[in-house]
Amino acid sequence: MDFLFLALVLYAMGAMTMLWPKRLEMAAHAIGMVLAAAASALTFLASATYLGTMCGWGVPAGMTLGRFGALVDIGWSGYTLVADGWSAAFLVITGLAGTIISLYGVDYGKAYRGTGIRALSGLWNLFLASMVLVLLAGDGFTFILAWEVMALVSFLLVNHESKKKETVHAAYQYMVMTHLGTAAILIAFYLIGSHSPSLLFSELAHNTLEGPLRHVAFAAAFIGFALKSGLMPLHVWLPNAHPAAPSHVSALMSGVMLKVAVYGFGRFVFYFLGMEVFAYGLIVMLVGLFSAFLGVLYASMEKDMKRILAYSSVENMGIIFATFGCGMLLVQTGHGTMAMVAFTAVLVHSLSHSIMKGLLFMSAGAVMHATGSKNVELMGALAKKMPATALFTLIGAMSLSSLPFTTGLVGEWMALQSFVTLGWQTGTQELRLLVIAAFVLMGLTGALALGCFVRLFGVVFLGRRRSALVLKAYEMPFFMLLGMGIEALLILVLGIFPMPMVQLMQASLTGGIMALPMVSTDAVVWNGIGDFANAASYSAYSPFMLMMLALIVTAILAFVLEGKGLYVQKDVTWNCGTVPTRRQQYTATGFSKPLRRAFDYILKPRKERTFLKKEHAYFGRSVHYNLFIPDQFTEKLYVPVQHLMVRLSALLHLLQQGSVRLYIGYTMIAMVAVLIWGVM
Amino acid sequence: MVYMVQSLGVGLVQALLLLVFAPFIVGLINKTKAILQKRQGASVLQEYFDLWKWWRKPVIVTPYTSKIFILAPAVYFGTTLMAAAMVPGLLVSGLQAGSAGLSLGDAFVFVYLLALGRFFMTLGAMDSATAFGGMGSSREVYISVLVEPAVMLAILVNAMRYQSTTLTRMVIDFDTFYFTVPAVLTCVAFFLVMLAENSRLPVDNPDTHLELTMIHECMTLEYSGRLLSLIHLGSMLKILIFLVLFSTLYLPLAIPVAVKVLFGALVIGVVETLNNKMRLFKVRVYLAAALILLIVSLIAE
Repeated sequence: MDFLFLALVLYAMGAMTMLWPKRLEMAAHAIGMVLAAAASALTFLASATYLGTMCGWGVPAGMTLGRFGALVDIGWSGYTLVADGWSAAFLVITGLAGTIISLYGVDYGKAYRGTGIRALSGLWNLFLASMVLVLLAGDGFTFILAWEVMALVSFLLVNHESKKKETVHAAYQYMVMTHLGTAAILIAFYLIGSHSPSLLFSELAHNTLEGPLRHVAFAAAFIGFALKSGLMPLHVWLPNAHPAAPSHVSALMSGVMLKVAVYGFGRFVFYFLGMEVFAYGLIVMLVGLFSAFLGVLYASMEKDMKRILAYSSVENMGIIFATFGCGMLLVQTGHGTMAMVAFTAVLVHSLSHSIMKGLLFMSAGAVMHATGSKNVELMGALAKKMPATALFTLIGAMSLSSLPFTTGLVGEWMALQSFVTLGWQTGTQELRLLVIAAFVLMGLTGALALGCFVRLFGVVFLGRRRSALVLKAYEMPFFMLLGMGIEALLILVLGIFPMPMVQLMQASLTGGIMALPMVSTDAVVWNGIGDFANAASYSAYSPFMLMMLALIVTAILAFVLEGKGLYVQKDVTWNCGTVPTRRQQYTATGFSKPLRRAFDYILKPRKERTFLKKEHAYFGRSVHYNLFIPDQFTEKLYVPVQHLMVRLSALLHLLQQGSVRLYIGYTMIAMVAVLIWGVM
Repeated sequence: MVYMVQSLGVGLVQALLLLVFAPFIVGLINKTKAILQKRQGASVLQEYFDLWKWWRKPVIVTPYTSKIFILAPAVYFGTTLMAAAMVPGLLVSGLQAGSAGLSLGDAFVFVYLLALGRFFMTLGAMDSATAFGGMGSSREVYISVLVEPAVMLAILVNAMRYQSTTLTRMVIDFDTFYFTVPAVLTCVAFFLVMLAENSRLPVDNPDTHLELTMIHECMTLEYSGRLLSLIHLGSMLKILIFLVLFSTLYLPLAIPVAVKVLFGALVIGVVETLNNKMRLFKVRVYLAAALILLIVSLIAE
């Protein structure tokens, strides 16, 4: 039995629930979501067992659940589906995230009762299926087709709450942007395809594209996939589309769809274009690093929960692409083994980001569910109302700040190791400067991410309530908690025992065209994850050993703290003789004030202060304070381009005057021209 | 497995030793400052007495807080203790003669472990629901954002030199160079970073409780009793850890490490006497100086 085909069939059945009659809409929704979860689970099992066999875990022959490796031709004319190692890695990500978020969606989607809930769960299946198909596509045409289906279905999902004006705006912005990306990818496929026998991936790999056109093809592919994964400056759709979409949709978009773009980029770089050109890796790494830094800087300024998470996705995709670029540079300078570390880090961080960002979008959804708002300034003290959600969010926030014992650090640690290697192994001065820049930016990014998630968690879940919305908050229903709980558990388990994850991801790189050497565990400098045999001889991060240490320290602390004499007294905080009020807490805006001031030359915040009335001479003026941090790329890049486009289109007025006679005249002229051309 | 048990054992012994001496080092810094300011000053052992005093007092908790508030000092102290087990002290000395010594983790893990402590400490401060807690967290985050690039470059300097990010490995190879230009520049830069990381003058003033000047003390304001004692002990331990790192990895002098640590403590005392606290928004200039020194030393390698 082929699990991947079964999964596609289940997705198709799930999509059919859209057509059920309206009175069965809740049943349609539940069955649709369960089918999506089951299909995703099958995808995950098929691809994970395939990779498991590749890294020699002794999976019995009968247990390999998908037919991989060989060409899987479904027999329609010209459409081919192929699964190899590189796609299997992303199928693992899609399957895992799809299963868990679908479970969450079983309860979360119920809020859309009566407002197109059947469409939501039907399209949900279609969205997952289209992503699986992108990963399975074996030729350029199938790839573009599936890619477009993915773009359109995600547009419809973003546009689901189309009663709201900003949703429609965000959705159409996303539509325009994603089509620009598709156009760029089409150009890339056209250029490569015109220099190879057919559009089959196996034949595209032997394309004969040379010279400047090859650079154009690379640039087009990079722009196309960078746009889909939200790298700066092509990220503008992302912070608008994520808040507009229903939360489980944003979780899936951020967790999986952005990674599908990484898959596409890897497909182009590894198989079609190669890494021989130094500038390719350099550009990718620099763009990645700046996206990482600027993304998290904007994330720590935002007040909308989902916009914070969207900008944080920009950051993490930046880290992923920076590591990718580092790997390309390592290959280019002839350090294949270390490049393996970098590409493994790309995959590991993609997987862990899909887990942790999925979790945080789900908990943002939970908070919205409970309070009806996503403005962090209106929350506070939710930890008491929703303790389980708070705990899961805390774990996700820790992981996104890449703290020890979470998956977040595993990928980031490997990324940093590959950066260090790029510095000392290659030894050239320009690469050393690049590594210095990388370390400065990664340092800033790491600290800002920590600040950003301290702010998010602290303002939303801790302290005292900041508005009356919190009063009606309640703990989430079972399936929502289940989804978040599994993700939180995965973060901790894979964070403490990361070796299976690293091995799986590494196995996916060994097959195929990139003949990169498999890293053996003791011969190489870096590979210390989970391995503690003489860890000091090379760089090592052994979370298990660290966990042992933590357990011992915790035991000591528990003994000390629980000893006699620790008695806790509840009393109101001393506040210089007055009783502290809720409004004396720091707001999220106040929290990020020092950073806003330190980076004001980048952020250029706009402040408006209006003094509303002045009854007394010296005090009692009520002040209206408005702070707005525009996205500088929108301001400086997109708005001018937009104005230019409008002005250029205005030139068309010369031709299009609205007069029918004129148009008939044009037709005449065209006819005459054609006739003359035909005679000649 | 043997390696792991050995590393854990030696690391824990080392952590406890550092823990015992940490208040003494802070006492020494305070005594130096007192003598330079022509005061008699408190005894070098005063910090032990203070810790004992807080230890016996009850903990007062604001009713609005969640469990994070109690958890934060424990995590802060715990991670600092783990970091203390990780620094290249006893771990280097030859349990496995001839080999690279024992290790519990590399420099990045060390940094992120301290970040774990900071994460919980800032959350704990925000949990107290007062203006001071939020202010302390906000400023701590601000300072850490400025410090972090310099810390990462300080690691990179050594990682490039010794081709490994493992702390013990770096220390073993440390004897191979003395007093080169990059070494001295890195040493100065790390000293600046150390002052900022440990909330010392001129970045933060550990002695005052005025809202305009304080950062770290601001976060601890709502804590009392045994929890306060844990936080203070953690901070003291952190200073000692950084002094040990400074002595073993950055100070290019051929004298025993213990002497170098005492010397470092004295220098901190002198620097704290000579400097005022700088304005919060000038700190970025101070840390930019450290950053530039590190970049120069990396290029000069």
